[in-house]
Amino acid sequence: MPHANERLFDHQYAREWKLKKSRAEKDKRMPLKDAIAQFVEDGDSIIETGFAYVRGPLGAYWEIGRQKKKDLVGIFTPGGLNNVWHEYGGMEGAHVAYVGVEMRGLISTFRRGVEAGTLKVYSEWSHGGLALALRAAEQGLNYVACKSMLGTDIIKTNPYIKVESDPWTGEPVCLVPAIYPDVAIFHVHHADKYGNSRIWGASVNDTAIAVAARKVVVTCERIVDTLDIRSNPYQVIIPHYCVDAVCEVPFGAWPGDMPGMYYFDRRLQERVVRIEWKTPEATRNWIDRYIYGTKDVYEMIQLAAEEEGLNVLDYVKRLEQLACDAAFYNIGSWGIGGERDWRYEEVAKRAI
Amino acid sequence: MADYNTMELMIVAASRELEDGATVGVGTGAPCAAAMLAQKTKAPNLVIMFEAGGISPLLPTMPISVGDSRTFYKAVMASGMCEIMETCQRGMVDYTFLGGAQIDMYGNLNSTVIGDWANPKVRFPGSGGANDFASFCWRIMVITPQDARRFVERVSFITTPGYLTGGNAREEAGLPANTGPYKVITNMAVMGYDPDSKRMRVESIHHGFTFEQVQENCGFELLKAPEVVETPPPTEEELSILRSEVDPHRYIIGR
Repeated sequence: MPHANERLFDHQYAREWKLKKSRAEKDKRMPLKDAIAQFVEDGDSIIETGFAYVRGPLGAYWEIGRQKKKDLVGIFTPGGLNNVWHEYGGMEGAHVAYVGVEMRGLISTFRRGVEAGTLKVYSEWSHGGLALALRAAEQGLNYVACKSMLGTDIIKTNPYIKVESDPWTGEPVCLVPAIYPDVAIFHVHHADKYGNSRIWGASVNDTAIAVAARKVVVTCERIVDTLDIRSNPYQVIIPHYCVDAVCEVPFGAWPGDMPGMYYFDRRLQERVVRIEWKTPEATRNWIDRYIYGTKDVYEMIQLAAEEEGLNVLDYVKRLEQLACDAAFYNIGSWGIGGERDWRYEEVAKRAI
Repeated sequence: MADYNTMELMIVAASRELEDGATVGVGTGAPCAAAMLAQKTKAPNLVIMFEAGGISPLLPTMPISVGDSRTFYKAVMASGMCEIMETCQRGMVDYTFLGGAQIDMYGNLNSTVIGDWANPKVRFPGSGGANDFASFCWRIMVITPQDARRFVERVSFITTPGYLTGGNAREEAGLPANTGPYKVITNMAVMGYDPDSKRMRVESIHHGFTFEQVQENCGFELLKAPEVVETPPPTEEELSILRSEVDPHRYIIGR
């Protein structure tokens, strides 16, 4: 099997598998475990979606860890908590625009791997540059031109981008090639069984990623009827023909932020980045407890609740109350608030 | 004179640079606090943009991520990353606030590595949106502590372009004319740039500090503006809004 980087910018290869992709509306629902087993293969390039820890499919990422997928190549615009894969050999390299948690600091698993030379950084990007590489793929074009990254060392350390003269003015421009990741997993608010996916909030790069990636798994807070999507298609960011699997995973963005539904599990995240992942030993201990020691995201939430001395339902309710703006969103056209009781039942059912 | 800490002083000084009706691209932390403070004081119509896609939110409380649900609270648009960066590239974003591990005399910033890129001594998060904001925004501001380890002769890696090697180097590299570094706000001084050489120069010094102290905490030779004044201290009103409305939990100002 050739290295993931060999496929990543291959325009012809991308068109060939687009030809194979089903256009039909068919039922793609399956359990998360099966979707990860089927669509994430060792050695795949995998791109983070949402804003990594905002509407990111973290439940699916923990499942990738549980199934011990090996040698993945990350694409990070930005990237976050799934760098923990590196600690057990799950990730061998990365294309990086950003990996970190902003004002809360660095992600030590990434930093350690790069400094030790065990996690290879294949190329450096800016957010705008990588976003445009995805847009080129969305356009079905070989590349797009931009003025990001000019004059910097990013250009020198990225073997894929080129600086050329604009044929009209002679000004230097940066040419960014279309990027085609092997796999992308999204977490959305609502999807129907065919994969039509609706969100609330910023789409970040998701529409472009969904058409660029070869394999697409959608996890959602709730599967809704297709009529529900068709009667309000305006917030749909991914159409069904991009999607290979649909999995219902309430709290699938935990411990990240799911706009309008629940806020960051801030205490857990800060404990993880500052303490739990500080050393390789501590990180492996965390992986043993939280990933290998649980069967799904609900057991993980239950474990987190127990560590705080809380009942699991009180724990998730607290995260929802922290979504400062939930009351404002409740007046939205598709009423997230009405789904709360349903989701509490789901958590109660699955956590026990 | 009111009692305040250096972080409060930096945030207040930064907020005063933003005029009403301007557009500003910000990250989380001190930049966001400065933009929020400006929005709650002199610039109620400040249009704040976040790189994940939030446009013009009325920030209820401090977001902890630029993709945080708070970044599109009562916003006019929840767009995406390309839309924000292209808005900058079109020339519609007036200001940005950035940080970084290292800054040099031309305002170039490093947030990638210390040491050799291929074999780094220290690895940082990388550019994120900083490179794009700094390539296109008309006026780039940096909020950072005054420290000789941060203000260095040469940055290990140019992640984010300032004036590159000075003079016209920025335009010659293909970056849009008349954009570039504008102010550097530290715990000791506010610096700008010489219009010709594009080298960093001290413009105002905070109460209690001298030019010599600023120079001692800087790894390269600083120029002096024709007139160096004392930075006006924060007012009681600015401090009170900063403490009670912008950062009541002291996430930033408590550092």
